Amino acid sequence: MDLIQEISEYLQKGRAKNVKQLVQQALDENMDPKAILNDGLLSGMMIIGAKFKNNEVFVPEVLVAARAMNVGLSVLEPKLIEVGNEPVGKAVIGTVQGDLHDIGKNLVVMMLKGAGFEIYDLGVDVETSVFIDKAEEVGADIICMSALLTTTMPKMQDCIDMLKERGLRDKYIVMIGGAPVNESFCEQIGADYYTPDAASCAEVAKKVVLEKKAAN
Amino acid sequence: MKRTEFDIKISIEDVCRFLDIHKKSDSYEELLEELKEMLPMAYEKIEPMALLEFGSLDGYTVEEEGRPIKEALFGICTVGKRMAEWSTQLFAEGDYMRGMMADAIADNYLFQMDTAMEQTVIDMCRKQGKGIIRRIEAPQDIPMSIQKRAYDATGAEQEGIGIKPSFMYDPVKTVCQIYLLDDDTSRYHPEHDCSRCSNLTCRNRRIPSVQVKVRTGEEERRIRARKSESLLETFQKKDIFLTAVCAGRGTCGKCRVQFLEGATEPDEADRKVFTEKELEQGWRLACRAYPKQDCTVLLDNAETDFFVLADTKDGNERRISDGTSYGIAVDIGTTTIAMQLVDLSDGRTADVYTAINRQRAYGADVISRIEASNSGKKEELRSSIRQDLLKGIGKLTEDNRLKISKMVIGANTTMVHLLMGYSCETLGVYPFEPVNIDMIHIPYRELLEDERQDCPVTIYPGISTYVGGDIVSGLYTLEFAKREKPAVLIDLGTNGEMAVGCRDGILTASTAAGPAFEGGNITCGTGSIPGAICGAVYRNGKMETETINHAKPSGICGTGIIDVIYELKKAEIIDETGRMEEPYFKDGVLLSEEGNLRFYQKDVREIQLAKAAVRAGLETLAARYGISCEDVDRFYIAGGFGYKMNIHKAVDIGLLPAQCEGRTEAVGNSCLQGSVKYLLDPDAEKETEELRKMARELPLSNDKMFQELYMEYMYFE
Repeated sequence: MDLIQEISEYLQKGRAKNVKQLVQQALDENMDPKAILNDGLLSGMMIIGAKFKNNEVFVPEVLVAARAMNVGLSVLEPKLIEVGNEPVGKAVIGTVQGDLHDIGKNLVVMMLKGAGFEIYDLGVDVETSVFIDKAEEVGADIICMSALLTTTMPKMQDCIDMLKERGLRDKYIVMIGGAPVNESFCEQIGADYYTPDAASCAEVAKKVVLEKKAAN
Repeated sequence: MKRTEFDIKISIEDVCRFLDIHKKSDSYEELLEELKEMLPMAYEKIEPMALLEFGSLDGYTVEEEGRPIKEALFGICTVGKRMAEWSTQLFAEGDYMRGMMADAIADNYLFQMDTAMEQTVIDMCRKQGKGIIRRIEAPQDIPMSIQKRAYDATGAEQEGIGIKPSFMYDPVKTVCQIYLLDDDTSRYHPEHDCSRCSNLTCRNRRIPSVQVKVRTGEEERRIRARKSESLLETFQKKDIFLTAVCAGRGTCGKCRVQFLEGATEPDEADRKVFTEKELEQGWRLACRAYPKQDCTVLLDNAETDFFVLADTKDGNERRISDGTSYGIAVDIGTTTIAMQLVDLSDGRTADVYTAINRQRAYGADVISRIEASNSGKKEELRSSIRQDLLKGIGKLTEDNRLKISKMVIGANTTMVHLLMGYSCETLGVYPFEPVNIDMIHIPYRELLEDERQDCPVTIYPGISTYVGGDIVSGLYTLEFAKREKPAVLIDLGTNGEMAVGCRDGILTASTAAGPAFEGGNITCGTGSIPGAICGAVYRNGKMETETINHAKPSGICGTGIIDVIYELKKAEIIDETGRMEEPYFKDGVLLSEEGNLRFYQKDVREIQLAKAAVRAGLETLAARYGISCEDVDRFYIAGGFGYKMNIHKAVDIGLLPAQCEGRTEAVGNSCLQGSVKYLLDPDAEKETEELRKMARELPLSNDKMFQELYMEYMYFE
């Protein structure tokens, strides 16, 4: 089996040690770090994401795969910097103010990372202005917000309004998610995308960011 | 009040459930190890603290039962800074897995603290002369700013807890409790009420339980019911069995109960079954009732002592002697289970056991069991029958102190599929192919996944999907394969299996008679339970009835149904087409004032359908076998219903042919008898296999003669 394919397979099984060793071996054999990243680590993570979406695997499998990915990345990162690899995009993410729930948000963080994004995780109970300030500071492409309570959902609207006030609405792609949120709520508050699960979020994020970059 | 000492053990099981880590997962072992490794670190980092103080609700509008509430007890619980920092740090390092685990561990600890505080909370209120109405949550019940009020009241700032502009606490793993107080000290409800919480997908969501007092006659039993479960489901879990022919769909109207207190809102199904007056009296269908509060329910139709035929001719005394070997014979019926402990040295019955098949929770007939199995409940059904069998075996063997050396099971094809864990996908759809109907030899331990006995188990083979091992067992015990003259075996159950045969060959069929003769589909029909009407005479314009054990009338069973139809026909209340005369057409015939039991036009129609199916099936079967009923030497009627049936009346209403009179024998549980015989007869396997080879199935559904006769026997002539 092709070495990069093997990295992807081991990653899907969550075998961190094997992934680490194979990434090192690939580097020693002078393989392209970008190929190791995209076709090995990230493609493996996307496959796990798709399976998660289809209920073929569950949170624990995603967790062990993400860990394997991180271990692989730590070996790969110095080389990536050397060759000047750019992330797909940058995303600012957090659970809205007044809400402490973060399992879903953490899964999104993992999947976005797996899709090649640079992530700025603001954690839980994030003030509306903090989302925007951080996005401005790091030059983000996407703002992702999560809410698990019906009572905290309106905070997403606040963020959209604040973006408009500050004349920044078109600068960012706003994505939302969480159990009480749905497509029509997304439309109603004027967010850009709602996705029902972490894997779809990563897919959509990657697609729209690449489209936006191509258009510019 | 401040408390920092907690004796809490983090539950790995709950943490796993919270994170969706299941035993089936490939990564289970690995994740479990990781969790166990993290636990000592977590205990080291967790610095629990709980604060409690009384305060006022001034400035907030809180109402309960229409009264404004002014006072509250405020609580704050935290696992401390270091635990929160740990999980944040793990995330920052990209170790999401351990980050999420740390998070889940912290939550688990926090929730347990919450529960551990309940008693302290109650004690504090009791000392103050206050009762706790309930606990409320911000922001759904009260604005978030109440967390600032609690913060100030408890002096949390002095304890190093921070508060943010959003009124959330810092560290994040800190929670606030608000208990509403008043002067009524008769109640204390400090628990979080998940049913009022808006976090619907919460992994810790627990809909709390209510107390149901169940009254049966003089007895009263208290059980806990979950609000998310129907009363019928709750009863089934507590081994209280109501008839539920429709498996809880709200259509058969059998699971009627009367609420004496705390009646639920009637739903559409209730309105169809009960009159306005009955609804007012608290009558509801148990399958539609989801108690939201404590309640009292009156039960007079529970199947607590179902009559199950176990056929013990040797009396009921248990006799066990040392040094002999024992076997167990089993009949798994759709409704009931019967077992006999047999002394293999002399063939005597040492003990008997009967019980209700608890799979009834999934529907009364085989079709609803097949449906349940196909909709993901296969393992549940299998586990149910295994438990039922183990319970019986335990009883018969004095908790397995007595070791058995053989076991034989007779059951219909569906029951065998469910016991073996076969898929039932093909049983319920044309061409109704079974997975396996061959004779099965299987080790006890494999069949029941239980180590306490160790012996071979034999399961009777079947003839087709609808003529199963129970019939083969009956034919074997009645020696159909050895008879010179043809005999007939009829099982008047739902499947209406029947066979005609002698040593020249055996022909079998099933007629889909439906459950009417077992009380199903009949408005006040019931099984053979104490209180079931089992006999009736129409005298002076009134139906005089007799019940099993002379108990208070609770319904009508098969023998009673035949009597009633016979009397109605004789009194010309029903004509030869089965139509009831006015005013009975509308109001039905009163069977018993007590319980307002009536027999309606619809019930007559059900019986017409059932008896036509049986009779037409029998006549067709005989004709296709090449004989008429006149040529039949003996008629055997199997099952509990046939046991006490009045053959003359059954002939009169057209259920059985006239030739039956004087030639019919009720054989009781012929399936169980067959299982016993198998245990004792060294040639059983050979003979059963031979018998099975001689038997063919006659498909009735597309037999022209059957269809014509079916229409003909529908009438009463």
